[in-house]
Amino acid sequence: MKSRTPFAAAGLASVVALTLAACASGGGTTPSDSSSAPAGGGSDRGGTLTLGILQEPQSWDPAQAHVGHRLQPFQLAYDSLILREPDGTLAPMLATDWSYTDDAKTVLELNLRTDVTFSDGAPFNADAVVANIEHFKTDNGPQAGMATAIDSVTAVDADTVDITLSEPDPAMEYYLSQALGLMGSPDSLGTDAMDRLPVGTGPYTMVADKSVVGSQYVFVARDGYWNPDLQKWDEIDLKLLPDVTARVNALVTGEVDATLLDGTTFQQAEGAGKTLLEYATDWQGLLLFDRDGTLNPALKDVRVRQAINYAFDRKNLLAQLGGGKGEVTSQVFGPDSSAYVPELDTYYTYDPAKAKQLLADAGYANGLTIEMPLFTPGGETILTFVAQQLADVGITVKQTQVPIADYQGELGKGNFAAAWFSLFQGPTWVAYQQLLSDTTLYNPFKSTSPEIQAAAQALRTNGDDAEAAQALNRYVTENAWFAPWFRPSQLYYYDASKVAVVAQVQMAVPSIYNYSPVS
Amino acid sequence: MLTMILRRLASGVAVLIVVAVLTFVLLNLSAGNVARNILGDQATPDAVAAKNAELGLDQPVLTRLGDWLSGAVHLDFGKSFFTNEPVFTAIGSRLPVTLAMVIASILLIAVFATLLGMLAAVRRGWVDSAVQVLAIVGNSIPGFVIGVLLVWLLAITWQVFNAVSNISPGSGVQTWVGSLTLPVIALVINGLASAAQQIRSAFIRQLDQDYVRTLRSRGISEREILFKHVLRSAAPAGLTVLSLQFIGLLGGVVIIESIFAIPGMGRLAVDATTKGDLPIVMGVVIYTVVVVIVVNLIVDIINGWLNPKVRVS
Repeated sequence: MKSRTPFAAAGLASVVALTLAACASGGGTTPSDSSSAPAGGGSDRGGTLTLGILQEPQSWDPAQAHVGHRLQPFQLAYDSLILREPDGTLAPMLATDWSYTDDAKTVLELNLRTDVTFSDGAPFNADAVVANIEHFKTDNGPQAGMATAIDSVTAVDADTVDITLSEPDPAMEYYLSQALGLMGSPDSLGTDAMDRLPVGTGPYTMVADKSVVGSQYVFVARDGYWNPDLQKWDEIDLKLLPDVTARVNALVTGEVDATLLDGTTFQQAEGAGKTLLEYATDWQGLLLFDRDGTLNPALKDVRVRQAINYAFDRKNLLAQLGGGKGEVTSQVFGPDSSAYVPELDTYYTYDPAKAKQLLADAGYANGLTIEMPLFTPGGETILTFVAQQLADVGITVKQTQVPIADYQGELGKGNFAAAWFSLFQGPTWVAYQQLLSDTTLYNPFKSTSPEIQAAAQALRTNGDDAEAAQALNRYVTENAWFAPWFRPSQLYYYDASKVAVVAQVQMAVPSIYNYSPVS
Repeated sequence: MLTMILRRLASGVAVLIVVAVLTFVLLNLSAGNVARNILGDQATPDAVAAKNAELGLDQPVLTRLGDWLSGAVHLDFGKSFFTNEPVFTAIGSRLPVTLAMVIASILLIAVFATLLGMLAAVRRGWVDSAVQVLAIVGNSIPGFVIGVLLVWLLAITWQVFNAVSNISPGSGVQTWVGSLTLPVIALVINGLASAAQQIRSAFIRQLDQDYVRTLRSRGISEREILFKHVLRSAAPAGLTVLSLQFIGLLGGVVIIESIFAIPGMGRLAVDATTKGDLPIVMGVVIYTVVVVIVVNLIVDIINGWLNPKVRVS
């Protein structure tokens, strides 16, 4: 559920950033013939909005949708069953209401709108939902895991669907507001045509002959869309600009109206009078995988893991690696999750003396060595800081180079006892699944404990059980299962004379619904 | 002449096959994490295994190579792992942009380098020194620095050109010119310098030859000697330099395309390589080898036409 690649984060420290892993030009004088906005078009919509995007969809099949950067484009052409408001509240969309019909929370019943059609003319109904969810389960997309708990989907009647789960999944309603909830026209699902052209019920349709893979996508408002409130523009163009220099140039010249920048480029946008939207979606720091000491016996000792946490000067790391934009923290759960405990942000402070003492107590007074992967290109700066700070307390970091394209894969193979990463901070259950479950890439040694099991059990039936969630958070923080440093800010800049933008909680870029024209 | 062309073509095909096979094997030996990259960190190991099977990455390298080769002879290079775009389409839509940029640059470099080189060789003295100094300066500033400066000055400050490319299917000439002018200037400044240097020395060598003295002694005008005789004799050296420049530009566009967000081959190549998009990388390699072979062949043909001695050798 990570929204960015390590490379994107490392872009803060490198000049040429490439990514893997988030209108009528305002300038007026800039030549631009791709933007013949139908000035208002007689509606109260806002002309053409142009966004600079970092990643493009791999396919327009909704089962291949992802999170963050690779969810936003899908929202143009597809509605989801449930709408996630900017603050995270779930609201009706294609489903008018929904509830679990049993106490065990294994049957989720959704009532559907009856006035919706797909852009190919097919009606949206319960059969369409069944077709979509079944397709999602078998199409092996990036988010296929969202459907793991789904046992069966049945159409109760034309506008009612029952989703039956093999075990409770507290994030199911959230998933239905994300990739799992995107509804494509049943006839097109899984076809090659859908790889190239989306067919949904959404507010916009893609203009195929103006859209080019690797370059730009053009969407126009769909006539007769059921919810004009969400259809705020006549046209939305997505310009793929993986290079941050190109993004800032395009923003400053008005060739895009809004885009995500980084710590090396934001001053230029500030200078050009663009408006900042600042929010955090990730945490960065070390994952201390080997809590059982399988690969590196030293990490089995909680004092060693705590010593690592005390060794880092988080404020300095934030200043050096995150351009000073963000908040330091010692916990892996984000402020928008039920597990968040404010005082855990400062649980570990910079205290090399204490770190040395803990290492001595654990029997490592003479130091120890930990092997960590260094992704190239781009990871050099980060690992240099890690190595320096840990060397100060007597820990030697052995750096092993891993090509950036192989980094994630290598982490999951259990070849490293610890590694740097930038990870998404989702709702509690999603974060638990990502960080602590025994199936996640980020728990290669499948470490667990009775305390974690107990909390997981409580959360499984109630994902927002704050008591269990916070107990879980305290446990992993106090026992130093990770060494988080900070929550870096996403620096999203936009032209406030043209568009108003609201941040979307737990999403790398705002939802497409969050951009409103400024009249 | 025909024998020469056929011989060159045959050796070109041999080179193409060797490069393709070597690249394919090397790439596939290190393709262990492609499925994980496509699916992202949320995918379970089973999902990753299923994706590997879907992409055929669970097959032995030689089987994959056989499949790829049998497709390649029918010009079917497969589909991108990451965007599902057929390799042929992916390259087909980006090639015109890159070629337009590179060909425009090389033509400008050819014209200006010849004029500057001739001027320096004929006039010598301060003109020569000035050209030399300019050549060194132009050569020592990296293309991307020139690119960034041009964007800052002409796109951001004066807003004459686009900062990022606007090219899309059906774009008019105006968009192409607006989007490619700055990148072409950046490429030309960089390439012009060394080409002018080489052409200058080729000219000086020719001007020292006996036949020039003989021609002069017959009272033939300096202008005719220069353009009809010396230019023709100096051309092979110049052409070789330009052909190397052309191939160099194919690499040089990589960074320029990133800075200007131009949807060309360079960006495609970098993107595919970082992500491990094997079908696209293979397509790019084939394209590059073909371009190198074709450019060399064209240069040989022109040289043969200019200089009969080359035809027999």
